[in-house]
Amino acid sequence: MPATSPPTGRWGDPVEAVEVTAIGLAPNVSPSGATTSPQGDDMFEWSEEQLMIRDAVRQFVQTEIAPKREELEHGDLPPYEILRKLFATFGMDVMARDRFKHQIEREKRVAAGEEAAPAAPVRRGGGDPNSIAMTMLPIIEICRHSPGMVTAMGVSMGLTSAAIMSKGTIAQKERWALDLLTLDKVGAWAITEPGSGSDAFGSMRSSARRDGDEYLLNGSKTFITNGPHADTIVFICKLDEGNPMEDRKIVSFVLDRGMPGLEQSKPLRKMGMHSSPTGELFLTDVRVGRDRLIGETEDVASGGRAGAKDTFSMERSGVAAMSLGIIERCLELSVQYAKDRVQFGKPIGEFQLIQDKLARMEVARLNVQNLVFRFIEMSAAGAPLSLAEASAMKLYAARAATEVAMEAVQLHGGNGYMAEYQVEQLARDAKVLQIYAGTDEIQITHIAKDLLRR
Amino acid sequence: MHVVVCVKQIPDPAEPGKLEGDLTLDRSGKLILDESDSYGVEMALQLVDKAGGGEVTLVSMAPNNENSGLRTALAMGAAKAILISDPLLSGAGALDTAKVLAAAIKSAEPDLVLTATESSDGYTGTVPEQIAALLGLPSITFAKEVHIDGQSVNVRRQTEDGYDEVTCSLPAVVSVTAGVVEPRYPSFKGIMAAKSKPVEEQTVVGLGLDPARVGVAGAGQEIVAVEDAPVREAGEIIVDDGEAFTNIVSFLDGLKLI
Repeated sequence: MPATSPPTGRWGDPVEAVEVTAIGLAPNVSPSGATTSPQGDDMFEWSEEQLMIRDAVRQFVQTEIAPKREELEHGDLPPYEILRKLFATFGMDVMARDRFKHQIEREKRVAAGEEAAPAAPVRRGGGDPNSIAMTMLPIIEICRHSPGMVTAMGVSMGLTSAAIMSKGTIAQKERWALDLLTLDKVGAWAITEPGSGSDAFGSMRSSARRDGDEYLLNGSKTFITNGPHADTIVFICKLDEGNPMEDRKIVSFVLDRGMPGLEQSKPLRKMGMHSSPTGELFLTDVRVGRDRLIGETEDVASGGRAGAKDTFSMERSGVAAMSLGIIERCLELSVQYAKDRVQFGKPIGEFQLIQDKLARMEVARLNVQNLVFRFIEMSAAGAPLSLAEASAMKLYAARAATEVAMEAVQLHGGNGYMAEYQVEQLARDAKVLQIYAGTDEIQITHIAKDLLRR
Repeated sequence: MHVVVCVKQIPDPAEPGKLEGDLTLDRSGKLILDESDSYGVEMALQLVDKAGGGEVTLVSMAPNNENSGLRTALAMGAAKAILISDPLLSGAGALDTAKVLAAAIKSAEPDLVLTATESSDGYTGTVPEQIAALLGLPSITFAKEVHIDGQSVNVRRQTEDGYDEVTCSLPAVVSVTAGVVEPRYPSFKGIMAAKSKPVEEQTVVGLGLDPARVGVAGAGQEIVAVEDAPVREAGEIIVDDGEAFTNIVSFLDGLKLI
């Protein structure tokens, strides 16, 4: 991978003009704009209900995911059936359906002039920390065993559905978004190309050309999470009007699996996140009608930029929750190993160099957990993180997860390098947190820009 | 269809247990739903669903008004709970526990009472039948399947060889064998709703019971010593000289397994 062009994240990437919401996380802006939090401003541990959710999901993960680790890691078992079972088990599909119905009904009333459009986006979970925790806890718990599953879930029900929900027409939302939100269908969000990574729009070659009332789509996409299995694909490209490449508008289309001219590759082999199938897409004169153009207009309001900051914040906080799951599990395994492993006649936990590793891991766990708690508090209070804060959170958490996981391998010695020991997998999985959803380098840019703008 | 499920809240078996000075189990911390009771809760919810209406009420006796385990069962779908918590009940044995539970069950007037076959901490396995006797109700133990048919309950009762089919009139007390149904996970919505479900707190006097007949006073027993379980002895090692199968056959025969 060329250092000068890090790949675009599967969860979306550092490109500012794309509006995305990750992994179903919705900002927690209260409809009334209220800034009260029923839990107060003193969240230092999970509440009783939140612990019940955590324990229930943990039990599900132990029963349904942990025993399938081998197939998920090395057998190309797609994660979708297990994720659907998770959704059905905890009623997450029903909740998504209810929320969707509520939102669409409101949008229809607004469209019919029966209700005024909300001044600011009304988002679910306003004022209720449990609502946002309900999204974060499954991420944390699944990541203790299978961060790839969270990636697959997040891209499908988060990024892909959000692309349609944020800019699509009501008809498009009803046609495609609901099935993504419930995980009935698998979604992919296709922006990255072989030659375009962090500079996604500048280097983008994929194109849409008008052909009568229709469009012809061409291009190649790569590193596409869920690409091999996706039923619904949001394809982002440039509108080719014969004008210079840098002046072309960015447009997005929704594609269905099996459309003539659309080829979905087999899963690519990669370092980690094996439970998240990643692939390539090839489009050759894929003919689509205007009904597949998101928003059914070529002039997508560039209002995207402001909205993107909000949704980037959600995406990046999702990575912090993923990091917390990985760190918690690595620490747990490392503490146990330090107690059990005997060398030089005593458990290795009695050696100060091992203690140093454990202590650093615990510091990282506390810090990342505090960041997650802070995110929940702020969301519940109707004060979403700024983009720079979210970038700082993502940067710190991703680095911490990678460092902790690598140290966990080190602490386990030769055993840690073996696939049998779970830290080997988590170390491979953690690395991508520094690359997707905006590379570390891009996060730093966002943080620095914000500081220098003040 | 109104089903009462007796549920016990116990110290987390994953944690090392501690004993009080009187050698009873330390139950001062957070208590969880006894896993063996989760089957009764699930079966009750299924029976109510099948009946097309009704509700499930939980009955539990626990110290310090502890209701963490109850919340788990409420999150699964039970409608309400009766919690008997009273310092007078400290040191209770099986029979006086049955007296307390029976009094609470009576106040709920259910069509059916479900219990586990035994708790995971006490293991006496006697409480279900004691409750039935105290209430003057028929009792069926070790149910692997329960069907409601009008005013009677039909139970497939687990035996060593298979099962017996037993029918009795309602109301009745049925103890449910662990593992016969798959306890559901509480949905997120259920977890959120559990906090606002009613938990009626009761006391010994409130249930009309005589304080002299419950707790240490009524247990009729005293724990005089607690000892570690004996270390399991090493098994017999047979070197296979080609005839080892005869040893295996006679061993299994001795256990009456073949």
